[in-house]
This record gives sequence, C-alpha cells and structure tokens, in this order.
Amino acid sequence: MTIRLGRRQFLMGSSALAAAAAAGISPAFAQSALRLIFWGGQARADRTYAVTDLYEAAGNPGLEAEFLSWNDYWPKLATQTAGGTAPDIIQMDYRYIVEYATRNAIAPLDDVIGDLGEFDADQLEGGKVNGQLYGISLGANSVATLANKKAIEEIGETVPDNSWTYADLERLGEAFKSAGNGMVAFSDGSGTEPMLDNWLRQRGLALYTADNKLGFTADDAVEWFQMWNGFREKGYIVDAETQALDTGTPESSMVATKKAAMMPSNSNQLVIHQSINDDELTITSYPRIAPGVGGGHYRKPSMFFSVGGSSADPAAAAAFINFFVTNPEAGAILGVERGIPCNSAVREAITPTLDEQSQIALNFVANLGDLVGALPPSPPAAAGEIDLNLLRVISQEVAFGARSAEDGGKAFVEEATAILARANA
Amino acid sequence: MTVHAADAAPQDAASGTSKWSRAWQNHAPGYLFLLPWFIGFFGLTIGPIISSFYLSFTDFDLLTSPEWIGLANYERMFTNDRAFATSMRVTFTFVLFSVPLKLAFALAIAILLNRGMKGLPLYRAVFYLPSLLGASVAIAILWRQLFAGDGLVNQFLSIFGIVGPSWISNPNYSLWTLIVLSVWQFGSPMIIFLAGLRQIPQDMYEAASLDGASKWRQFWKITLPLLTPVVFFNAIIQTIEAFKSFTPAFIISNGTGSPINSTLFYTLYLYNEAFSYFRMGYASALAWFLLLLIACFTAFSFLTSKYWVHYDD
Repeated sequence: MTIRLGRRQFLMGSSALAAAAAAGISPAFAQSALRLIFWGGQARADRTYAVTDLYEAAGNPGLEAEFLSWNDYWPKLATQTAGGTAPDIIQMDYRYIVEYATRNAIAPLDDVIGDLGEFDADQLEGGKVNGQLYGISLGANSVATLANKKAIEEIGETVPDNSWTYADLERLGEAFKSAGNGMVAFSDGSGTEPMLDNWLRQRGLALYTADNKLGFTADDAVEWFQMWNGFREKGYIVDAETQALDTGTPESSMVATKKAAMMPSNSNQLVIHQSINDDELTITSYPRIAPGVGGGHYRKPSMFFSVGGSSADPAAAAAFINFFVTNPEAGAILGVERGIPCNSAVREAITPTLDEQSQIALNFVANLGDLVGALPPSPPAAAGEIDLNLLRVISQEVAFGARSAEDGGKAFVEEATAILARANA
Repeated sequence: MTVHAADAAPQDAASGTSKWSRAWQNHAPGYLFLLPWFIGFFGLTIGPIISSFYLSFTDFDLLTSPEWIGLANYERMFTNDRAFATSMRVTFTFVLFSVPLKLAFALAIAILLNRGMKGLPLYRAVFYLPSLLGASVAIAILWRQLFAGDGLVNQFLSIFGIVGPSWISNPNYSLWTLIVLSVWQFGSPMIIFLAGLRQIPQDMYEAASLDGASKWRQFWKITLPLLTPVVFFNAIIQTIEAFKSFTPAFIISNGTGSPINSTLFYTLYLYNEAFSYFRMGYASALAWFLLLLIACFTAFSFLTSKYWVHYDD
C-alpha cells in the first residue's frame, strides 16, 4: 500500500505542528482547568486526587494536578516560575514563602480567599509575609521524635513521654547497648537542623534572628557537636558510616532500616513511616535539655497552598484552596497526612474517623503544653544552603573524626555568617 | 512523496535570484525533512548554550530577571569557594583512575574474546550489557544495596572472616565504589577494541611466532602499537564521559555528594548550585569552565597524539 501525501498537505501539516511547537501549547491542555502542583508520596497523591475529584463532582472547574518528590519539586517549580508557566495552585513551604512572595511569584490572597470559618490564628499568621496573606496552612505540625514502640518494649523499656530529657536518651542508650540486638537508641541528630533549633530554643536562643543573622555563637555550636560526640563514643547513637546511609527519604531513615529505635521527625510523618514499617511506631517530643525546660517546640504550618503570581484566574484558584481546607468531606479524605487541620469544624468532624496513628499525631500536637514556645521568624534566604551544604557536611566531618567538635563548631558559625551576609546583602 | 526537480522554475542561468530559488526548490524538501532536527538543535541546544554564556556573567535566581555582574562569578570560583575546589579534586580523582582502569579492563576482555571462542556473540552481549544499563537509576540503586554495610559485598567478604566497612557511606571508600561502577561499564570501549583487534593482520603474529617472540612480547610490539588509534579514540571519549559523569553520584547520595562531599562530582555541584540554591548565573559559569576544561584536555590529547599514536599509512 502506498500513502500519497500531497506537497500542500504535507506543508500544512508540518507548519501546523511547527506553529503549535512555537506557541508552546499542546492540545491536551484545556484552557479552563486549574493546575495544581505539590510534593509528596503516593499516599498524599491518592488523598489529594480524591479531593480534586470531589471538587469536580460538585460542579466546579476541573483540576490538573501533578506531584513530585521534595527534591525534584523545587527545581521544577522554580523553572516553571521563570518560564511564566507556574501552576495556579502551588504547595508552598515555610522556608520558601518569603522568597516567592517578595518576588511576586505567588499572589496575595486577602481579597480572594473568602470565609475560612474558625481558622487557627497562629496558622493564619504563619502564612503572612509583610502583613499580607500569601499561603493558607494545610495543617499544623510539630517536630517529634519518631519511636519504634515494639523495639523499645522488647528490651523492657517504655516509650518516653513528653517530659523526657537528653539524660533519658543516655539511659535508653545504655539499655539498648546491654540488650545487644544490633539496634541503638537514637539516630545521629547532630546534622538535623530542627533538632539543633529545638535545643537552642530551650536555651533561650534561636537558629536565626528576625534580622537574618545567626541566633547563637560558636561556643553553642561546639557544645552541640560535643554532646553528640559523647553519645556516639558511648554507642548510644548510630555510627557515622550508618548515619550516612540516610539520604533523607523515609525508606532510608534509621528507624525504617531498623538501625535505631528513635530519630527526629515530624508529627505528620508518623503516618508515612508507619506505612513502611511492620513494627508499631509512635511519636513523642524531642528530648528536653533538663527536666521541666520547655519552649523548644512550636506549632508550624506544615505546608501551604498559594496561588501562582501568573495565574489567569486567582479567584477560582483561591476558591479551590478554600474548599480544600474548609469542606468536612475533603477533610475526612485528607485526614492529618498534611498536619492537623486548622479549621475547627473540619477538625471536629474528622476526629472520630481517624485511624490510630492519625489520632496519636493529632493528640500530640494538641497537647504539647509547656513544650511550645513562640513561632520563630520565617527563615532567612540561604537557610536551606546552610542546612544542606554546611550543617550536614560539618556534622559528618565531626562524626567521621575528620574535624574536632571545637573546630567544627567554629567553622560552622564562621561560614554560616558569611553565607547569610552574602545572601541577605 | 516524489520530488519533481524538472518541474522547477524555467532555466535562466543569467539570473542569480532564480538560481537561488531553483536551488531552494531543489533542496527545500530536504530541509523540510530536517526541520524537526533543526528546531531541536537551535531551540534546545544552541539557544540554551548561548543564553547560558550570557547568564554566566549575571546573578540570576530564576524568580527575578538576571542582573549583570561581569566576571564576579568566575572570580568567586577561584578565590572564595571551597566546595568548588573539593568538586574539582573529586572529579579529577575519578577521571584519573576510572578511565585508565576501564580501558585496561576493556582491552583485556576484548583480547580474551578475540581468541575465537565458542559462543562469542553471547559473551560479547553479556559483557556489553552493563554499558546499556550504565547510566540508569536502577543500577545506581543496585550499587547502593551491594556496597552498603550489610550488602552483598560484605556478606561475601564475611565468608573469609573479613568485616568490611559500609563502602558506600564511608568517605574513604565511597568514591572508589563509583570508580568500580564506572569500570564495570566497560562494554562500549570493549566492542571498539574488539573491532580494532580484528583489523590487525594475522600474518604479523605468524611471522613473530616463527621468530620465537613470546605472546607477551607480541602484545607489546604488535598488538598495542597497531591498536593505538583505537586506544586514542577510546581514551578521549571515555575521558569526556568521565568528566560529565552525574547520574550514579546523584542517585547514590540522593544529590548531596555525601558523605562529607566525598562524591561531590563537578556536575553534581553545578546541579546543586543551579537547582538547590537557585544560583543559575554561578552554575552557568561553572558549566562554561567545565567545557573549557574538557576542551583543553582534548586539545592536549590531540597535540601529544603524534608522539604515541601510530597510523599505518
């Protein structure tokens, strides 16, 4: 069989293709659908898609949602923003909201978001930049110690409650050592930024001040590294080699790989960790520096929904966000996977329907008591770089013995100060 | 589709315009067929290359427009960036060890396969397989499992009573596991060596044997000199590949260059600058420096080649 394609037809076809390519459109994307982008795993995606289906079924405009892992998410979002093709609804993090808001890459929501019902005031405040609302909190969470309940009970101990201290960590470390079952009490938290932050806050200090400077001195950093060196030498925490296998994914974490019974995490992550662990898990607070000392924790907006600065229809995008956080049916689907819902009606409606892990997370955040301190200012630009490029590398150098704690602490403060000065000049 | 060249404009040799238009009519279908490639080449390759050269002189964070800062990016690279120096050291160690080892391995296997053993096509395919899988994510993940503290490699060593370290997460060994991974993917230079070996006339070996030369001597005096053009080609290709190596380090350390930046390849550092810290301007400068580095290396190889590469003509 021969296919005869006339020259005219061929030219018409190819120029249509070229025109489509030049215009950067593909016919599959309908103009009316809102675009939504978020980071997370399959469990979060399933819940999110169920809510978009619910929204469409109620006769609202359709949504095209895509999700990526945390690491892939930010490059993609930044690239799309630079290209002027940012989605209408963007999942946003506390770390980046200031950068995006001050560059108009996300739009102010005060006039379009509508009635959010009875919404937690501190969570609303957390989504403001320069007094304007740029992000709607999708849930409150708090840092928490993830604990393998089964493993701890197997050696005849109990999971510590919220009153526990770093001295209790040593006691549990000793208990695991004498049990000799190949598991240690805790992961190496020396390179975990929220844990350092929590420890500093208990001492009345802060990781960063409101004017974009370091809130602590080299002496504090030295003491921090010395404390973890002590734990490591005594065998209470995993060794440097083992800790380096943790690449930041839940699957490679020290609790998931059964190297340690406990590790620093977040209250909302109990759900995801339990889904990949066959031992029963629970959460408790970060350790206190001494009995009765609180103020290290805070209720953090776990993530926001923001509206893209280039969105053609900010009102429609905001309407979806409103539905997402105030509709009880949507709330029932979402559960506490993104944190504790901030709308009180939703929270009350879903509480009886939650599974055990979600109940634990909800009760934990609701009952932090004296552990809660003031909400810190949003982190300065380059906070991410200091975490990834500096704290992690120097904590590893100290752990592997390539640097002393003294040297590491001094270098950390010196270089972090330089990075902050350069980024916030 | 048929092209009727004879249907083109009437002959008019005196007119330049019509000559051009005739040439165009003759070649237009060809260019049309090339169009998809041209769009890709200019839109996706040349365009970005030119704009990255411009961006390398700017401060650009993707969210706001680029700001011209002259040579500041290049200046910072050499005066005020410890991670840059680390990544250079890691990359050069990787290139210096992985390329010669890989070529030696590829040549050894090629000579073995060249002996005309039974089932040659099968062995050739099997040895080539790792190269096909080479840059894939799956292999990098597999490597992680193999060289972890309780991975297969240590389980094997424990048979002999050796307690191995966690190769992949120990800063003393992590880069070496990546070098081993690279050497293991010796398939494509091996195939090229094999083709080269087939070109060497058998009568030379016969003559050498008659004169009583040992196999070892035959290798050094006949095989290697006659194979130098192929060695030269493989060395250049593999070195460029090694400088550009990215995927294994990215997957194995989840993009961090961990532990202690011991696997912070140049390309990984470049990627982090661009996409983790959003310093597109600085990352562009890094990319152009890498290009310059590879160009210098290749030029050096070509200049020295006349002293050691033998073309038999």
